[in-house]
Amino acid sequence: MAIRKVRVIGDEILTKTCKPVKEMTPRIAELIDDMFETMYEENGVGLAASQVGVLRQIVTIDVDDGNQYVLINPEILETSGQQTGYEGCLSVPGKTGVVTRPDHVKVRALNEKMEPYELEGNGLLARAICHECDHLKGKLYVTLVEGELEDVDAPDEEESEE
Amino acid sequence: MTIKETGGREIALDVLTEVLENGAFVHVALSRALFKYQYLEKQERAFITRVVDGTVERLLPIDQALNACSKVKTEKMKPLIRTLLRMSAYQILYMDRVPDSAACNEAVKLAVRRKFSGLKGFVNGVLRSLSRRKAEFDFEDISLKYSMPRWLIARWEEQIGKEETEKMMKAFLEDRGTAVRCNVSLASREEILHSLESQGAAAEPSPYGEDLLILKEYDYLEGLEAFQKGWIQVQDLSSSFVGRLADPAPGSHIIDVCSAPGGKSLHLAELLKGTGLVEARDLTWQKVALIEENVERTGCANVKAQVWDALELKEESVEQADVVIADLPCSGLGIIGKKPDIKYRITERDLEDLAKLQREILSVVWRYVKPGGLLIYSTCTVDALENQENAAWFSGSFPFEPVDITGKLGPGIREESMKDGWIQLLPGKYPCDGFFISVFRRKASRSIE
Repeated sequence: MAIRKVRVIGDEILTKTCKPVKEMTPRIAELIDDMFETMYEENGVGLAASQVGVLRQIVTIDVDDGNQYVLINPEILETSGQQTGYEGCLSVPGKTGVVTRPDHVKVRALNEKMEPYELEGNGLLARAICHECDHLKGKLYVTLVEGELEDVDAPDEEESEE
Repeated sequence: MTIKETGGREIALDVLTEVLENGAFVHVALSRALFKYQYLEKQERAFITRVVDGTVERLLPIDQALNACSKVKTEKMKPLIRTLLRMSAYQILYMDRVPDSAACNEAVKLAVRRKFSGLKGFVNGVLRSLSRRKAEFDFEDISLKYSMPRWLIARWEEQIGKEETEKMMKAFLEDRGTAVRCNVSLASREEILHSLESQGAAAEPSPYGEDLLILKEYDYLEGLEAFQKGWIQVQDLSSSFVGRLADPAPGSHIIDVCSAPGGKSLHLAELLKGTGLVEARDLTWQKVALIEENVERTGCANVKAQVWDALELKEESVEQADVVIADLPCSGLGIIGKKPDIKYRITERDLEDLAKLQREILSVVWRYVKPGGLLIYSTCTVDALENQENAAWFSGSFPFEPVDITGKLGPGIREESMKDGWIQLLPGKYPCDGFFISVFRRKASRSIE
């Protein structure tokens, strides 16, 4: 296992569309392990393969719900509701912004054994699924931000009262 | 994807730093943070509330345990690290559903994020040791068990006895939910219950009053339809007793001299069914704005809010009121369950100063009562100096006599003292805040003061 270099905004690879995975190979299996390790190291809750420079439709997600999700060739089947809140991206370091996403998402994908399954997520999981699936299409969250992209380390805004 | 760095624990850390290091009021700092982070999930918000309230509530045993596990004593620590260790210790000692390892790891991460990387070994070491040794800490000592300063315990034991004191301190640590009064002129209790349930809030009727509910599970009070429409008003059972004892006749003129945020004034307005007039006064425009907000929300047309200092005599009000409500500034020892920071903040000197202020205000506002009218003196505290002693002083100094209130609060509330016109409600004995109410009638014949 190894920690891979996370590509950051400006790198063209992040704007490209990823290709489906046809079969599981030792290289892909290693890539998935590395993606988890990289994601944990960087305090991410989700990572797409394109973020470590591999144009394959692979997503790893861990939103602290006790599961490590691997989504290969994911396809969003349905979405409903909406949630508005802050998100950030390992490829856009030091920044955060408010994005409105569906509150509920149903996705079909293959797991690391290439077995098909369906996953339904609410709240943070739904947000992570949408965010990572966007990566596979070469789309970054910065295009969806409402208002300004903010610095993570910026001091809190002045409270208006008292 | 990453989530914004401010997770629940970091928000809790910031709120607690404000309270424990910078002297902010816990309920103010917490509600401001919850307002700001409305986008967080309900569980996350509940976690923040629990950690913040809990850490303040249990501060004394927490510090005791930390000091047993750390060479550097809490008072010598850097404020951020002190607060971080305190809130993490709370999770380890009092929150079963948070694994110790999680509390510890998250604390280390937070230390790093807050630029205290150099202390992450220290934070980790103290918390691991605390987790290993937590069985040692059983806090049998009464001050640690209830996290209550010794001087307060001694004072209460002398006034109400050992048993009642312990029952009360236990009750302070229990979650009773939020008591709300239904504005039954706007919606029936059933309608209100239905609306609350449809929004996922759990509520149950209170056995002590037909218009009272206890809200148990809700995320954000201001987001509830029943609140927005003015159907419910946050008011403790104890405070609603003031309205019941006033029992105003239609058309009454009522002056509430320290009204904000207006709970009792609105209750009285409701009891008057739109007739008469309730003058809701308070010291500053900020406080009066709070009253006005509530008046507007509940649509009570017979309430008039105004800025007035209760220490100043308002000539045109002299002998105008059928009822004067004097719910005066007090030490708040009865609401320690809701505002746990009070117990560390208050000093003996404060009690004396407040008792004096109460006397000064009473010396002014009694004049507003018509001969034959009522004055109700109440506080949300549990201390004879501010309560029984001031009540006795009042009827001894002015042309008033105590009113027998026996049986006026329903069969569930019985105290010998009620025939002498007062009741000290104690948490643990009754499911309400610690609260004192005394009722006086102005003598019909004008005696010489």
